[in-house]
Amino acid sequence: MRRLAASITGFGALFGAVALSSAAQAQTAGATLFAQNCSACHQLTGLGIHGAFPALAGDPFVVGDPTKPAYVLLHGRGGMPNFSEDLSDADIAAILSYVRSSWGNHAPPLDAALVASVRGGGAAPPKERSVLPGH
Amino acid sequence: MATESNGAAFSRRDFLQQLQGWGGTALMMAGMDALGFGIASAATAPPDLTGGGGGKKVIVLGTGVAGLTSAYELSSAGYDVTVLEARDRVGGRSYTARKGTKLTELGGEPQVCDFDEGYYINPGPWRIPYSHRGYLHYAKKFKVGLELFNNENEHAYIKFDKGTGPLAGRPVRKQEITADTRGYANEILAKQVRQGALDAEFAPGDKELFLDYLRSEGYLTKDDFKYIGTDGRGMDENPGAGLDPGKPSTPHKLTDILHSQTWRTLQSVGSLDMQHTMFEPIGGMDQLPAGFVRNLKPVIRLGHVVEKISQTPEQVTVAFTGPDGQKGTVTGDYCVCTIPLSVLRGIDLDVTPEFKEAITGVSYALVCKIGLQMKTRFWEDNHQIYGGHVYVDDPGVNVISLPSTGWLGEKGVVLGFYPQGAAAARVSAMSLAGRRDYALWVGQKVFPEYTESNDGSFSIAWHRVPFNMGGWAQWTEEGRAKYYPKLLEPQGRLYLAGEHLSYITGWQEGGIESAWSQISKLHKRAMATA
Repeated sequence: MRRLAASITGFGALFGAVALSSAAQAQTAGATLFAQNCSACHQLTGLGIHGAFPALAGDPFVVGDPTKPAYVLLHGRGGMPNFSEDLSDADIAAILSYVRSSWGNHAPPLDAALVASVRGGGAAPPKERSVLPGH
Repeated sequence: MATESNGAAFSRRDFLQQLQGWGGTALMMAGMDALGFGIASAATAPPDLTGGGGGKKVIVLGTGVAGLTSAYELSSAGYDVTVLEARDRVGGRSYTARKGTKLTELGGEPQVCDFDEGYYINPGPWRIPYSHRGYLHYAKKFKVGLELFNNENEHAYIKFDKGTGPLAGRPVRKQEITADTRGYANEILAKQVRQGALDAEFAPGDKELFLDYLRSEGYLTKDDFKYIGTDGRGMDENPGAGLDPGKPSTPHKLTDILHSQTWRTLQSVGSLDMQHTMFEPIGGMDQLPAGFVRNLKPVIRLGHVVEKISQTPEQVTVAFTGPDGQKGTVTGDYCVCTIPLSVLRGIDLDVTPEFKEAITGVSYALVCKIGLQMKTRFWEDNHQIYGGHVYVDDPGVNVISLPSTGWLGEKGVVLGFYPQGAAAARVSAMSLAGRRDYALWVGQKVFPEYTESNDGSFSIAWHRVPFNMGGWAQWTEEGRAKYYPKLLEPQGRLYLAGEHLSYITGWQEGGIESAWSQISKLHKRAMATA
């Protein structure tokens, strides 16, 4: 089902923001955004792959203080990329709220304002991104 | 950085940034060399291993170019070398996908490359800069044929959707953007110089020469220094025979170019590792590993997955699971381990906690590629684009690269996407068919023939590939200072090598030169204790 949700979103929306208007839509958007951005490694099951990608189901880190996983999404960690330029505060809040309430996780949602506070100083300054890929 | 303790002090970073500001990257690199970063210390030949180490036994783990270089040089010098490789093939990331190549990513569907016989994509490294002398040394030594890789094509398109104005959202030839941007920039600068606004910048006699340069660089008119176009930006009608002089084209407006963002593809000169001359091996990137294997004395033991590395003061033991699932061990005097740190961090190692922490102190690049086999070479036949890159500003694609092999042939394999980082996470979350459809959807907006021509694909997400777990090591400045030096030193009898232990990360050259550096250290020690 979640894979279907990702595919019907279409390629046009893939690299754009998802508009949120209600809690239910936020949950759906969180599932879609998770499928698009996170599932390649953490898997749609949230179980990750042992020895390679950490499980999010039952992980005390993701259900604990929400500012900590928000920080990881904004800065990257280990093999995980930094999503700060690719996802809005609302996107990150939707993803983390979904992760915190799926696969047996039962932690309260968070809002974009909390992610913004972790990000600090409003939007990140645009990085001078080369359009010429290296390597 | 470790040396920064006093807030009032001028840090090394500040110093380097100042150098970059004053004199560009070249001066900064000279500064880095002076500060001990060693960036200019590129080796050009294998180390001298004279003496042969008294027949000491070395276990080499991994058969990417770092492992193959280590195994070849050590065995040639007289060491007794055992080589273990986890996969059923050699080469590591120096890899070519062709008809029948199988790959299953972690969490992914099984994939079999469905290209026609003779067609291929290099999903890992794909281009060899002229400055990579270690790679070229072995290509020459093992008679691996090279061909030119077209890394820059003025006639290729730029298609940027995120800009605004009439040049956004449609393919524009790069030559138009290059000629017009530089033409206008030189015209504006010439105007200021001629009005005397910049006289303070010039020594006596400089000004006229500088104006000559601006006129030449920007194709400005002889007397009034105007940019009115030039044939190099393309002609509306090319010149022909007889009475046909052709028809010149009209430059774009400067404001349209600026707002289209297409100028972001321009640089005064290619970066050190992106310049002409660029090569690729004829027949695929797996040809250099094949060259090593043809010339290697030890037999490589394929399908041997390392489980544990333990050691005593006298020897080192590697425990493995073999191809038929049976466990075994091999013991030697030294071990050269070229397993990527992204994988090594999951292996049971007999090293200090500090060394273990250092292994986890670097992240690995998320990166994807897809090869799309096309039934016709429409980019050549219909668009006169022979190799090189089409630049797009969709981060899920970045470039569409046209092949530098099989010119004017029947079919060809196009690189359909090359995303990195968060964009690569997104692309890799798609099904194999979804990745292909996404690549086609983007390419179709550049080439109308794209989708209907496609008849095969092979995609890879390196962060999901077993025994790689990432494209290449991405050291931060902090990691370089805190962890990198630890990993360069042996742990007991264990030496690490690979692109991750170089300042040429993500290039085969880094693996080769790292191997040279580490086996040289090993040899000195072996000779001292022989």
